[in-house]
Amino acid sequence: MTSIAARTGRARGSRTPPKGTSSRSSTMIYVTTGTVLGFLFLVPLAWAVLRSFMQPSDITAAPSASAFSHLTVANYSELITGSIHILRYVGNSLIVAVGTALLTALLATLAGYGLGRARFRFRGSNVVFALILVTLMVPFQAILTPLFLELSFLHLLDSLLGLILFYSTFNLPFGVFVMRNSFMALPSELEEAAYCAGAKTLTTLRKVVLPLVMPGVATTMLYAFLFAWTEFLGALTFITNINTLTLPVALLNVETGTFGQVNYGFLIAGAVIAMVPCAVLYVTLQRFYVSGISAGGIKG
Amino acid sequence: MAEIELSHVDKVYEGAEAPAVRDLCLTIADGEFMVLVGPSGCGKTTALRMVAGLEDITEGELRIGDQVVNDMPPQARNISFVFQNYALFPHMTVYDNMAFGLKLAKVDKAARDKRVRDAARMLGLEEHLNRKPRALSGGQRQRVAMGRAIVVEPQAYLMDEPLSNLDAKLRVSMRTELARLQRDLNVTTIYVTHDQTEAMTMGDRIAVIRKGKLQQVGPPTELFDRPANLFVAGFIGSPSMNLVESRLRSEGDSLYADIGGQPLLIDPRTLSERPALRGHADAGKPLIVGIRPQDFNVSDGDAGRRGCQLKAKVELVESLGTETNVHFCVDAPPVVTEEVLELAAELGTDEAARVEKRAQAGRNEFIARVDPKTRVRTGDTITLSVDTAQLHFFDPGTGEVAC
Repeated sequence: MTSIAARTGRARGSRTPPKGTSSRSSTMIYVTTGTVLGFLFLVPLAWAVLRSFMQPSDITAAPSASAFSHLTVANYSELITGSIHILRYVGNSLIVAVGTALLTALLATLAGYGLGRARFRFRGSNVVFALILVTLMVPFQAILTPLFLELSFLHLLDSLLGLILFYSTFNLPFGVFVMRNSFMALPSELEEAAYCAGAKTLTTLRKVVLPLVMPGVATTMLYAFLFAWTEFLGALTFITNINTLTLPVALLNVETGTFGQVNYGFLIAGAVIAMVPCAVLYVTLQRFYVSGISAGGIKG
Repeated sequence: MAEIELSHVDKVYEGAEAPAVRDLCLTIADGEFMVLVGPSGCGKTTALRMVAGLEDITEGELRIGDQVVNDMPPQARNISFVFQNYALFPHMTVYDNMAFGLKLAKVDKAARDKRVRDAARMLGLEEHLNRKPRALSGGQRQRVAMGRAIVVEPQAYLMDEPLSNLDAKLRVSMRTELARLQRDLNVTTIYVTHDQTEAMTMGDRIAVIRKGKLQQVGPPTELFDRPANLFVAGFIGSPSMNLVESRLRSEGDSLYADIGGQPLLIDPRTLSERPALRGHADAGKPLIVGIRPQDFNVSDGDAGRRGCQLKAKVELVESLGTETNVHFCVDAPPVVTEEVLELAAELGTDEAARVEKRAQAGRNEFIARVDPKTRVRTGDTITLSVDTAQLHFFDPGTGEVAC
């Protein structure tokens, strides 16, 4: 036992690169490139955040140092407490995005389990999967009119539920793809071990398989959430009632002056508010997200 | 605990031409350690998975205890399966892995805890209960897999090559440990392996399977001493049995087998047990004679009786400390049957090619396993005494034992 420990210890030791000049210079290049790229990505964000704290007159004026001396939270307080009621739209968007994420994850997991495990294969299951992938190639913008008629027929226009169903439908192909590949990457012995221990199919899925495909689930949910949170055209088409608008459409209304004239302060502050959930999700789920994408990508 | 009975079990995979398992009849007694052994792809794992319920049975009947379980799902069979890759749940601790089956069986918490801890103590896993499988060594993972099987107190353990992922030394020690554990717990066990040493050392009985068909079943010594056919003869025993094509010759009441021009007297007792040999001699039909490497010994000079010795020129000496393997050539065509080639292929494609090459050259290499104290050098011509009571005879056409 000790010899094994010693051997692995040595192996681990040898994996760290020797501290030579070549490795140090490559580290330098790595860090420098990373810093430059990070800077390029951060500048627009910082620009927007800074602007959102300026007075509207300073935003449209030529850039000057004096603009930074009277920073204010007026834009935010006006958006939240004023006549625009932005929190209502944030709420609508949250309902739609979370609902879409949950529904997509649930359906994609079940479909992926069915299509990804040899145990459940049926004649033509590959054709079914291919058909699901084909729908990825249909842009929903191309079928906006039929979708409008369909939702109208179902009385789901002007309804957040209608939007959730619509977004989920268009997120499912990718979700099923990711989940199927996640399930395929698991050795079937794990399930068989659970069966032999007395677990039924759904218990096995819940207790044994699901915890192991969580990166896939996280990827699917994140994708669906971001899609629903930022989607504009569908929301604009299917929602006409001002109380059920989602955030992107509401922000458009701020811009085009439905609530008065264009107010860049409001607009930028609204955009920053819209960015927050995305940033939080990305940072917290990044670990899952990356491994889920790569699992889905390589195995496919 | 229960008896397991397979009667006329067939398995045909969808789209496959030949059945994976053919007409398998096997009864494993309560508490018995049965080893299924055979080359890879012979259907032994398929047979095991059918017992577990992980594969459907195409034809035939399977009983566990006194119940026909053909259509019973694995969940209801109350068996434990130990997988080759252990199939530990990577997201659960060792404790949770072992408690998994008990939780599902709704064993109350105190009893569950006791059983898991007892099993952990038995397997020396107490300090590792809170670790995840990835933090364990191969041997420890193997023990967790065993622990998971033990705690549920099943009717039978089904093990699919559980030691094949361990390194050689660990495998030997785990082999002993596992066999002892099974003896202590006295639970019916079916153990699948391709390693004949594991089969010989662990099993109460061994079932040799080839191409989905059961070849012979019996205690290890019986398979070793009385192989029913060429395949079993070649598979069981290491180094494997020396085979040579021969003809029998009568001289008065005695019968001699011709081994590359040298006569070997067939023991009178063998002759009375196998009267058909006389018929072979009269008809002058060829026969395959098998001699185990263990049945040779180096003899001094020509002291022995006529017909019990072979003269041989030593080609190679392998000294292993506990024994010495002497390689020598016999001037007779080697046996190249389907069985022999299949067994050689099991050792690698080179080996099969080598067998064929030797056959073309008409060289038949024998191995004698002799006392390590004897000083034999390469190039020596030595006299080997043969225990002629232990000769094996096979029909070259069928590969079955000639009797």
